Amino acid sequence: MALVGNLRDFALADFLYLIDRGYKTGSLQLNRQSAAATLYFEKGKLLYAAQAQERESLGEMLQRTGKLTPQQVQQAVQLQQTDGNQSLGTVLVEHDIITREDLQRHIQTHIEETVYSLFGWPDGEFCFNAGVKLDRDDVQSPVPLGVENLIMEGVRRVDEWGRIKDHIPNTDMIARFVDQPLEKAKSINLTPDEWRIFARINGKDSIKEVISRTGLSEFDVSRIVYGFISAGLVEVTRPRPPVPATGRAGAGAAAGAPKRSLVSRIINRIRGM
Amino acid sequence: MQTVKMVISGAVNAGKTQFIRAISEIEVVSTERKASDDTKLLKGETTVAMDFGRITISDDLVLHLFGTPGQKRFDFMWEILSEGMLGLIVLVDSTRPETFRETNRIIDFFTSQRDAPYVVAANKQDHENAWAPDELRLALRLPAHVKIVPCVATQKDSVKNVLLELLYVIMQRSAD
Repeated sequence: MALVGNLRDFALADFLYLIDRGYKTGSLQLNRQSAAATLYFEKGKLLYAAQAQERESLGEMLQRTGKLTPQQVQQAVQLQQTDGNQSLGTVLVEHDIITREDLQRHIQTHIEETVYSLFGWPDGEFCFNAGVKLDRDDVQSPVPLGVENLIMEGVRRVDEWGRIKDHIPNTDMIARFVDQPLEKAKSINLTPDEWRIFARINGKDSIKEVISRTGLSEFDVSRIVYGFISAGLVEVTRPRPPVPATGRAGAGAAAGAPKRSLVSRIINRIRGM
Repeated sequence: MQTVKMVISGAVNAGKTQFIRAISEIEVVSTERKASDDTKLLKGETTVAMDFGRITISDDLVLHLFGTPGQKRFDFMWEILSEGMLGLIVLVDSTRPETFRETNRIIDFFTSQRDAPYVVAANKQDHENAWAPDELRLALRLPAHVKIVPCVATQKDSVKNVLLELLYVIMQRSAD
């Protein structure tokens, strides 16, 4: 069953979080005006991403990044034509024009850049088809990428107050770690500024206090905290209202709770309807 | 006669009116019926004020069901409605991710106002493009202890099940 929606309402960071936490396998198709992109995931990790209008071939990309000379690309293309069905990546590796590791690293970088560019889409239709698998070419497929770092870097490039404000409506909000962030946190790379904020998250101090202690701007702190939220490391809560000094603060949470007998009566009635 | 109150909330077109209509023993009272804004595009008769339904529990006990207004401009009503409520059901249209942000805002509002028991009802689960409850939990970032109950608000048994799930949550927090 397809999950469909619009990035305007459900941001790419939110969707990647869903993919990650849901260990989803499938393809995500994105369309915006004349642009389109497809991402493939396997068990919550990104396998591949490409924009439909990409004109650049693998050879051109490796040439542009200085990994191959034009002569090497031309040689590989000729060998590919001779070899028949083999992909250009396979030809490059099998003829020792590039190592498998180098090839995969360059493809991985290209995939990451493709995803980061998608964070800049303010809107766009998305459609996730669960279960759809990438027809993998083992030579050209890099190691599946965890999406947490993609989210963090993608959000670093987000310059949009509106989206941030959806998650952090004001600086009185308090950031705290989610219940099980530790394993996730180990694989995330943070910038020094992100670390400064990360180290000050304690579930007590408001974001306003974090701003004053770090000396960073409200936007920068909010954007970084938004990144933590998107990566599933942190959640924000409203400050607890102050307890009125009436001397009755210890009355306990059950003070306003309904009696069990009353709830039982309602349950029995609803069951019998 | 003792009356207790449950509040049914959710974004516009989440299915609040249908939900109350499916279980109420009286005709659902909608205090105003004409939609005059863009919600008209979503449904012909949107809830611009509130819905009210009733279930008689016994001779001396009545359960009232209040559906909150869906539009933002009626936010002030939410606080009034939530006073003294037994619990809250937040309906979410599982087929419309564009309403998830608003759903979160509603949950945030009610939970910040008071520590009320609540469940999320994943409505329209009979639609082909409905997001599954597990997916909704991730999308809405709901903690594990918050129940997400599959729901079809037009079906009485499904509505009963949601009410019962909320009542079980309430029971856990009730006093002896």
